[in-house]
Amino acid sequence: MSLSAVSGAIGRWYSIPLLLLVWHVAVVSGLTTSRLLPEPASVLIAFYHDVANGTLIAQAAVTLARALSGFVLGSVAGILLAVAMARVPLFSRLVEPLVFLGYPVPKIALYPVFIFIFGIGSSSKIAFTFFEVLYPVTVTTYLGLSSVPTRLIWTAKNYGASKLDIFWKVILPSVLPHVFTGCRIALPLAITIVVVTEMIGDSAGLGYYITIWGTRFNYANVYAGILMIGIIGFALDRLIVIARKHAVYWEKNNVRL
Amino acid sequence: MKGALEKAALPVLLLVLWEATARMGLIPIYLSSPSDICLATLELLKDGTYVDALGASLFRVYSGFAIGAALGAVLGLAAGMNRAIANFFDPLISFLYPIPKIAFLSVFLMLFGLGHASKVAIVATSAFFVVFVGAEQAVMSLNPRFVWAARNMGAGRSTILFRVVLPACLPQLLAGLRVALSLAFVLLFAAEMIGAREGLGMLIVEGTEYVRFDIMFSGILAFAVLGFLSDRLLLAVRRRLLRGQMIGTEEQAI
Repeated sequence: MSLSAVSGAIGRWYSIPLLLLVWHVAVVSGLTTSRLLPEPASVLIAFYHDVANGTLIAQAAVTLARALSGFVLGSVAGILLAVAMARVPLFSRLVEPLVFLGYPVPKIALYPVFIFIFGIGSSSKIAFTFFEVLYPVTVTTYLGLSSVPTRLIWTAKNYGASKLDIFWKVILPSVLPHVFTGCRIALPLAITIVVVTEMIGDSAGLGYYITIWGTRFNYANVYAGILMIGIIGFALDRLIVIARKHAVYWEKNNVRL
Repeated sequence: MKGALEKAALPVLLLVLWEATARMGLIPIYLSSPSDICLATLELLKDGTYVDALGASLFRVYSGFAIGAALGAVLGLAAGMNRAIANFFDPLISFLYPIPKIAFLSVFLMLFGLGHASKVAIVATSAFFVVFVGAEQAVMSLNPRFVWAARNMGAGRSTILFRVVLPACLPQLLAGLRVALSLAFVLLFAAEMIGAREGLGMLIVEGTEYVRFDIMFSGILAFAVLGFLSDRLLLAVRRRLLRGQMIGTEEQAI
């Protein structure tokens, strides 16, 4: 690596170590009370300790399983719903008001009802994540389907393409970017919703881990839990971006990594 | 007329079904019924708890959103225009952005207590990140020819900022604001359910604790209406601000 590349990297990434240093100095010099803000090193030690003994991994696995199952179920159902709306005019006219009026409504307020129906454990979290993911995926996919240029379909028809061909070779490629946009909105939402609902009430998962260590005034572990959520969120978003790059390979890469 | 009938058909059908099954005792008691929810809403309106709860929640969500969005827009635009500012913020944002901000709630509750401040802070934090990213990307995707053209015609820095950059970035900035607004309600609700002494979230929790499911649903209804109307208000502002830019484009339904 040349000298200019090194200085360029320093110029682009200096703020994280700088802030960590300020944090460390502030705690060590006694400027802040370390109860709410333990020094960075002790956060890392807590993180390492709980990863090594498996508790943090186990809680992360619970959260991840809930978020992913809700997300997968919700996006599959959302895509199917959008296709049904695009194909069946009567169905679309009946369902559209519920979908488009329900979209901006904060659905989280319904979570207490979900607890009554599905209980406090995993099933209410997965059901609610499903419900929250359903909306953005349905709306973006439906808008994508209704914005497929008709000219492309006419052209394909003129060349004698079958219905199946039109679906696989014309409609699917032009809808795919919209589906990925919906998924990229829905995935962080799924993680947020699972963590929120775990904080409201549960005895497993990262949301629970953070809350329980917060009530024990052990903030090193709280930040360790937050770090774990950050790592999961970052990794999953990267996965979606990479999947999009492979599936929508013809798209000019304007998604900033 | 026929269109309106069709639009209302499914929601009305669901409401009638809900009321009928509740009257016949076919659904569990915690699902209440539309008529009971209306009565509970009237009761809460009369004794003033509704207005108090609504006022507290409204104040929290709007002030938090305003603080976070203003900071996010200003710093995001600045980062988009200035390399040094971007170099400072970009790594921090890309590290903190994927973390659900609700995770910081226990820290904020310790710092700011159970009152308004902790909720305002958590809503502001979540709004900040979304608006910052939207504003920065808006500037980065700005067509540089606009700026060159303005410069060639002798426009000063402030003219370029207010007459070229800002109007061109408005659509994306407003898209970021809309996402931030919907997130603000999620965070407000969670924060009010976990630790609060007043507000709509508290009203809903109290409803479940006192086995008054009509009150619970009444709170849920208020929360839903509040979120929906806020979104519509933002869309109306957007239409007004972008009325020049939207000529000839087809306005999408959402």
